[in-house]
Amino acid sequence: MILIIGGAYEGKTEYAEKTLGISESEILDGRKCDLREVHFAKAVNNFHVLIKRLLEDNKINTNEFIDEIYSVNPDITIISDEIGCGIIPLEKSERLWREETGRACCKAAELSDVVVRINCGIPSVIKGELP
Amino acid sequence: MVILITGGSKSGKSKIAENLLSAMENKIYLATMEPYGEEAQTAISRHRKQRMGKGFETVEKSRDIQELDIPGGTGGILLECLSTLCANEMFSGNEPYPADKILDGIKLLKEKTGLLVVVTSSVSCDGIEYPAETENYIRALCELNIKVAELSDVVIEAVCGIPVTLKGAVV
Repeated sequence: MILIIGGAYEGKTEYAEKTLGISESEILDGRKCDLREVHFAKAVNNFHVLIKRLLEDNKINTNEFIDEIYSVNPDITIISDEIGCGIIPLEKSERLWREETGRACCKAAELSDVVVRINCGIPSVIKGELP
Repeated sequence: MVILITGGSKSGKSKIAENLLSAMENKIYLATMEPYGEEAQTAISRHRKQRMGKGFETVEKSRDIQELDIPGGTGGILLECLSTLCANEMFSGNEPYPADKILDGIKLLKEKTGLLVVVTSSVSCDGIEYPAETENYIRALCELNIKVAELSDVVIEAVCGIPVTLKGAVV
């Protein structure tokens, strides 16, 4: 598993495509994909929004969801926005989402062999080594 | 040589930038903030105080940096900062998407000096979806940051005043 994190519009998807050689069509969109597709996909983008959908659905536990992805699709690349660097949101659901995403990224990072953080389009490998 | 410095609000970006230029002669501080309102005035005087005695000549230009006439022999330029400049172009200057325009201005500045230090801000890590106008600003600034980082020899992220090098190395 590879985790790519960074703020919005920092060049994460371009990095996955150019450096990891994943084509656009192989990258699922976490905003709208079928949850089961994640078990077969090469990469999933907007993972932070996928976490929001899990929370709204309230049927699947985030931790178990990530464990399951790892057990059936251990070579997946996960791309997530970093969303925890602002003010604590007033809305409760927004707070829960922010916290759940932070924890989910920690969990994914723990399982990942490689974690890359993108800032201004520049990758920093903060865990492991690129294959 | 171009050095880009990014980081969050009040993370020590300016100080790092000023120190990088400390040994340079004939240096220009290119100030982009529009001097309107109390908070802008406070920020401007705080930055002036911080720069005092460091040998900068201040040039104020809140938009259209491509029009600047930089004198020959300018040792260094500190451009502060892209987030303000981008906002000024969009919201005072009615430029719908000024990323390439500002990039062209930076390329011109780069030709006129030995060391160009550009300060920008990290603005896209709070997970908030803003109204379309703001979202467009964030996108333009991020695109500009990526493009300036590409042409930069060194990129530094300021974290609690500590310079963390993302690209290249400061000699």
